[in-house]
Amino acid sequence: MTNQKSNGAGFSRMNRRQLLQGSAALGAAAAAGGVALPARAEDKVKLTVWAWTPRTQEMADLYMKKNPNVDVVVENVGQGAPHYVKLRNAITAGTGLPDVALIEFNSIPSFRALNALADLSPNLPAGFGDQYMDWTWAAVSDGSKVFGLPWNSGPMALLYHADVLDRHGIAVPETWDDFAEQAKKLAKAAPGTYLANFGVDPGWTAAVLWQAGWRPFRTNGTEIEIRINDDIAKNWANYWQALIDAKAVDTKPAWTTEWFAALDDGTYASWVTAAWAPILMEQAMKKSFGKWRAAPMPQWQKGGKVASNWGGTVFSAFTTTPNLKAATDFAAFMSADPQAARFWLTEVFLFPVLTELVDDKVLMGHKYDFYGGQPVNEVFAEALTQVDPSFEFAPFQDYVNLQIEDHFAQAIAGRGTLADAFDRIQDAVVAYAGDQGYTVK
Amino acid sequence: MTRSLAGHRPRVIIGKKIAPYVLLLPFVLVFVAFLIVPMIYAFNLSLHKTALVGGTRFVGFDNYARAFVDPNFWSGVWLLVRFGLIQMPIMLSLALAFALILDSGLVYARGLFRIAFFLPYAVPAVIATLMWGYLYGPAYGPIAQIAAFLSLPKPDFFSENAILGSIANITIWEYTGYNMIIYFAALQAIPTDLEEASKMDGASAFTYAVRVKLPMIVPMIIVTIMFSIIGTLQLFSEPYLITNLARSVINSHFTPNYYAYTLAFTAQQYNYSAAISFVLGAVVAVFSYAFMLASNRGAR
Amino acid sequence: MGIVGNTVRSARFRLSRWVLTAILCIYLVYTLIPIFYVVTASTKTNADLFGTFGLWFSDDFHLRENLVDLFTMQDGIFLRWLGNTFFYALTSAIGAAFFALLAGYAFAKYDFAGKRLLFALVLGAVMIPQTALVIPLYLLFSKVGLLNTPLAVILPSLVFPPGVFLMRVYVEEAVSDEIIDAGRVDGAGELHILSGLTFRLLMPGFATVFILAFVAAWNNYFLPLVVMSTSDQFPVTVGLAIWYASATTGSGGNLLFTVVMAGSLVSILPVILAFLIMQRFWQGGLSAGSVKA
Repeated sequence: MTNQKSNGAGFSRMNRRQLLQGSAALGAAAAAGGVALPARAEDKVKLTVWAWTPRTQEMADLYMKKNPNVDVVVENVGQGAPHYVKLRNAITAGTGLPDVALIEFNSIPSFRALNALADLSPNLPAGFGDQYMDWTWAAVSDGSKVFGLPWNSGPMALLYHADVLDRHGIAVPETWDDFAEQAKKLAKAAPGTYLANFGVDPGWTAAVLWQAGWRPFRTNGTEIEIRINDDIAKNWANYWQALIDAKAVDTKPAWTTEWFAALDDGTYASWVTAAWAPILMEQAMKKSFGKWRAAPMPQWQKGGKVASNWGGTVFSAFTTTPNLKAATDFAAFMSADPQAARFWLTEVFLFPVLTELVDDKVLMGHKYDFYGGQPVNEVFAEALTQVDPSFEFAPFQDYVNLQIEDHFAQAIAGRGTLADAFDRIQDAVVAYAGDQGYTVK
Repeated sequence: MTRSLAGHRPRVIIGKKIAPYVLLLPFVLVFVAFLIVPMIYAFNLSLHKTALVGGTRFVGFDNYARAFVDPNFWSGVWLLVRFGLIQMPIMLSLALAFALILDSGLVYARGLFRIAFFLPYAVPAVIATLMWGYLYGPAYGPIAQIAAFLSLPKPDFFSENAILGSIANITIWEYTGYNMIIYFAALQAIPTDLEEASKMDGASAFTYAVRVKLPMIVPMIIVTIMFSIIGTLQLFSEPYLITNLARSVINSHFTPNYYAYTLAFTAQQYNYSAAISFVLGAVVAVFSYAFMLASNRGAR
Repeated sequence: MGIVGNTVRSARFRLSRWVLTAILCIYLVYTLIPIFYVVTASTKTNADLFGTFGLWFSDDFHLRENLVDLFTMQDGIFLRWLGNTFFYALTSAIGAAFFALLAGYAFAKYDFAGKRLLFALVLGAVMIPQTALVIPLYLLFSKVGLLNTPLAVILPSLVFPPGVFLMRVYVEEAVSDEIIDAGRVDGAGELHILSGLTFRLLMPGFATVFILAFVAAWNNYFLPLVVMSTSDQFPVTVGLAIWYASATTGSGGNLLFTVVMAGSLVSILPVILAFLIMQRFWQGGLSAGSVKA
């Protein structure tokens, strides 16, 4: 995807292109340096970027200002499923892929399985990964190869509606046992009010199970270990099943207007969620403004310090890009340029992945009115350091998510238990993996 | 009348033999290019199997063998049979009743009703489902709010027992007016003995409509039933778009088309998805054929 | 038309007329409620959308702000989507209706080899679900470089088998064989007969098929969703669905419920308007036999 005229291939043109690519690499090394050579319009490198996040174009504009030889076009082709469906269709067709796209952490193995992600390491300076939080770098790199640059993360915490808890004498739970106890207490004290809603959400499910120590997949080339219904999962399932059976939690679908309203009016008094949730809540909620607080995620062991991550994205480049150097440079800018990184945090509320920002006391100490002046980022920042890097997603995570949705839904509708659901998911996924040619162990 | 036919412009005369082919050419071209060719392509897909590991290989009719015994597929077909048995009679009899009422001139403001009833057809399914989804809201939707205000229990439109009715309601809302217009047009096309009609009062006008006119549009009714059967068995958009609101009762193989969609776009099983689509096409053909046979027998 | 001539109306007639009108009014309310909901929702803030009674306006009248958001979001892309939808629907519908007219006329007025088979094929094609065709279409378009171009949406929309079916029925009813034979006696070519005379008779049928094809193309979601990959090519349906979805997954989306509502309202208005303008014209087309009668 370049505007260079293919028929004008002469020696001088080659030289100029090499020069441009050299300058792009220089730009990466000098991050904010803006070392770019003036270039004629027809020599411009064009990068197409698929991203759904708001205001992405603004930083792309800043990048172009610093790199006049690169023309970046940001496209929003949808978020979640539509985005990935489009990427996969383009991979199948072998054409139409962007140069760079946003990909969530849990989708990296899937796109690697399709051999679609370009290795960025040849164009990155040595030690580039050292600036990122450990687990985020572990999720994108594989020994020496790098399949994306972390951009934002979703460290988890417990958000709670302080008013509702106070009114009914509910203590902020420190452990999951506390959580269950308080949930039952609240449901009894105020029927129709719930400490939490157990919606069918595979992303959330994987994240909270991540905290519990669930490690369902180990992929090694074409071999895969699948342990979806292990003891950890069964315990977790029984835990929630008991709360559902006791009607101590609600079981409505998440992400609907109804659900937002229930969080706003105190029907749901808490939400174990990720750092990006506050921005959605601020837009949707009026009644509960200023009444929300954040606390660390409930622990399975008393005094434990284990958190988890839900969501978060990386910038990846595709093997089809003719401008891998420029693509890498652009991804590096979006991901690690100090100015850009601050912009994402302070303006777009994307939680950072760079240790420098996570450690920044001033940035993390910002007081939010929505949280009654609580510096909630401190809670999330701490959580980010407590994420275990050894979690792996499946190379066909979308299929796994589909099975979680279908079988959890059945359990919630009263056909079987959540524990049964894990057995059925295990069976379905093992069969699928075999069908897709994997050696299942 | 025929005067204008004497050509004022000289042109190439195309004879009676070639004319139909010339007339059909544009449609057949696009029909073949954008329907038949993709269909053959899809059929070819259905004879292969692509795995993440190991690539693509020819598997003959394996995918079809699998589809024929796939409970996920047949549960969707069975669901749609039940769905159709609720939805089609309601929608078509409402449409027919409205068409008869409007045609026999037994109401005021005919034009208003005609256009207003047809309006929902102009609302994209994406938007229609969004709207009804909000209206159904079990806690904060207006229907629930009214129920609460009247101290009635809040209806749960997304419960396992209600979901078929809730989706049926959306499709009834969308397509009743469309079918009504088709019936209405057919009724209007029947030449009426005005003198006889003018002598009639309300009751006999309605009797006239039912006794005399209704039998005359039976062929059109059969056509709409056929199209409804086809449309019902291909139901996809409404359940797909309402899934977020009713996650616990709508699964990824809720209807056969939904199943084909998730197989292709989420599970990356394009080949099996294509086979499912063809089996669904066959099921549709069987149902349509069975209905044609039944209606022919009934007509005899 | 109907049978409301100079009737001597009895009291009973008038009573039944009022009762039936009342019944239709109930259905009218049912028809309009969801549309009214979109109207009220477009005037609210996100918080009020969740927190106030759905079928009435809230105190905070936010329509102007929502419309401003709608038309300024992503540099005013919504206007572009409206334009795209209009362009795709118009070109598809004109082409589809014209091809259906020619084909329907051929089926109605000529005997030729393979007629039954071809007609059965056209009708049978309706039975294959679109999901089966979208992926092959995608792959075929990718081979000829048509992906993400207007043609990728328009070309498949030119195939409108129900239009062929309707045109055939219509032509059989509306155009008598005598007219055609008279033309032949005059020595006019077959195409000339079609264009010279019957075209005028065929206009209502053409208009019917046109509006049905137009609505089908206007509402098309699935095909453009798959074949379009830059937002400047999206039709309204795809664009709005993407905005709507931006609130339903994590990772820093925007909450746009009310903007989507305003967008829905704005995007159904033109079709409603088109209906009102065209209703006389195309309803005539559906009542095929009325021309004959």
